[in-house]
Amino acid sequence: MRYVGVAAVWAYRFTLAPFLGVGQCKYHPSCSQYAIDAYKEFGFFKGTVLAGWRLLRCNPWSRGGVDYARDQKVFK
Amino acid sequence: MIVASILTPLEDLLRHILNALHSLGLPWAWSIVGLTIIVRMLLVPLTVKQIHSMQNMQAHAPQMKEIQRKYKGDRTKLNEELMKFYKENNINPAASCLPLLAQLPVFIGLFYTLRRFAKKPPPGDLSWLHFVPNIAKHANSHWSGYVLLAIYVLSQVASTYFMSGTMQKSQRYLMMVLPFVFIPFILKFPTGLVLYWMTTNLWTVGQGLVTRRLVPKVATTPTVAPAGPKRSSRTPPKDDAATGADIDTAAPAPRPTPAQTRRVKKKKGGARR
Repeated sequence: MRYVGVAAVWAYRFTLAPFLGVGQCKYHPSCSQYAIDAYKEFGFFKGTVLAGWRLLRCNPWSRGGVDYARDQKVFK
Repeated sequence: MIVASILTPLEDLLRHILNALHSLGLPWAWSIVGLTIIVRMLLVPLTVKQIHSMQNMQAHAPQMKEIQRKYKGDRTKLNEELMKFYKENNINPAASCLPLLAQLPVFIGLFYTLRRFAKKPPPGDLSWLHFVPNIAKHANSHWSGYVLLAIYVLSQVASTYFMSGTMQKSQRYLMMVLPFVFIPFILKFPTGLVLYWMTTNLWTVGQGLVTRRLVPKVATTPTVAPAGPKRSSRTPPKDDAATGADIDTAAPAPRPTPAQTRRVKKKKGGARR
């Protein structure tokens, strides 16, 4: 199931991402990489929540920085 | 299917805006361009923020160069160190994912709207600029579709060029090659959709050009000083209308002075083409 998520992110990378316009993410790793890591480590549902939360944080008012999926604080 | 039903309210909204623009007297094609510009204009506040952060980055460029030199071989480490540096110096890197993704529902909504458009074309003029006969038809149904497609690919590559920043080289190349890979798929899309892409890409390129010109301006602030007297010298020759060339040459000179107002003006002008 978790690989469905990983596949979805890759599908996004190869189809929609170039259309949306390319910008570098303010976080490291980038949001899509974070989503892949989160899916691999936490499974489909937790991974989706984590990736969604990360996307919401990746806005112009946040500060960015180094942020790995394994260091998440949502699920403890 | 699921995506379509989730997006129905947005689709309705987009169709309403499209209809409103059309009822104002714009042909359908220009309504699509107008809708795109409206969406992008809503994102302008974000862009202004990006410009500020870009200027901030510019100020810290030497230190960042040093970091880049230090971790030249290791991309991952370099990225990490840069991010740490941003955080320490309160720098907000230019791009972020959410504004980009905000375009996604609009784009998908527009896709469905235009597909319905193509199935049941509404009454009214469907041509654009006298060379696109029907924006509801597939892009490969007329040679004009290929022209739009070429502009789309060029603008996509150009916007990648402006936006990619410190992106990894391999990824950057991939992003530049992908538009070419997509050509056969895009050919099956309604021309109106290509029109949307073209407009939004050109807007991005315009923004990129504006920010490019704006950012070095910070370093060369002394140019503001000579601009003052120049403007006053421009006013007297204005009396004789015959020397129109004189005004033309003088016109670009005062440009750098109102850096704040020009920023907004230019953006709108650059994108409308």
